[in-house]
Amino acid sequence: MPANLCITPDLGKEDMDPEVSTRMIILSSKANVSESEVVNFLHMLNLPITIKWTCYGAMISGKDEYVREAIRELRKLDPYGIFTKERGFAPGDPRRCRGHRYGPREGFHQMEKEFKILDYVGEALKNPREVEIEKKEPVSVDYFKEILEEEENKKEDDK
Amino acid sequence: MVKVAIYPPNSLILADLIERKGHTPLALQKQIRQKIKDPEIDSPPMNITEEDPINGLKYAAIEVPSGVRGRMSIIGPLIDAAEAAIIVDGAPFGFGCVGCARTNELSIFCLRKKDIPVLEVVYPDDEDGTRLMVNQIMDFLDSLPGGGGDLEGDSDVLGEPIANKGGK
Repeated sequence: MPANLCITPDLGKEDMDPEVSTRMIILSSKANVSESEVVNFLHMLNLPITIKWTCYGAMISGKDEYVREAIRELRKLDPYGIFTKERGFAPGDPRRCRGHRYGPREGFHQMEKEFKILDYVGEALKNPREVEIEKKEPVSVDYFKEILEEEENKKEDDK
Repeated sequence: MVKVAIYPPNSLILADLIERKGHTPLALQKQIRQKIKDPEIDSPPMNITEEDPINGLKYAAIEVPSGVRGRMSIIGPLIDAAEAAIIVDGAPFGFGCVGCARTNELSIFCLRKKDIPVLEVVYPDDEDGTRLMVNQIMDFLDSLPGGGGDLEGDSDVLGEPIANKGGK
């Protein structure tokens, strides 16, 4: 298939409906549920939504109220391992879906970066505790001078 | 419930934490969705129309490149609607969705200049740093009026279950 980065999508009725929203469900690597469990659970809810199984979790699309209902129920499975965010494009939209074009999907790199610290975020939410981080400060000029003088004195003593 | 602007505007972690605390994240995705659903756009893949750089004049001067103004026409309304803001500083290169350093600078400047509570956190790269960031964000969200969601997201911005509103 030739690279076509500017596909004109064949938008359906649902794609143009302002009440329809799409949400991405992203699992942290320490989540107690797998992608397939999430998708099965969503199907079992029997809500009129489109569900797509993805490598990071799932994507759901449908009327806003049903999507919210699904997210609310799904979060009960693992409140600290399931994260969600809104998505602009519908699932499988040819302008974003990798099935229709080359290269990483827009937003992949951001998600990759955030996925790395998602475990820590879940852990911090589950067991909150105070932490203090020491800020690394540059070496002071006086200390630097002291070291220089010491080294010079050593050289003079060696002579 | 407070509308909280986030930077980067598509951040998963920031948007999720804000929703868990019962506030509304002002994420870029909603703006993009409006763009791609607009029936007046003739060629849907081209999300930016010639009107956008003109709308961007509200946020940036005419000398500013049209790319910045076009981006500001989408991000600007989010900044206008913001009642609080969370900004992530010191993120690695490529973090964020805007793809333009000058737009990032201008947006953060506009958020700082606006008379709203702003929290600036450092991008974490280890467990302690992430804990500190989450603690700071949670304290900040608690200090805002309204909200009241819990950490597990049971009574968050997602609202009342449909069943309570009279069936599906």
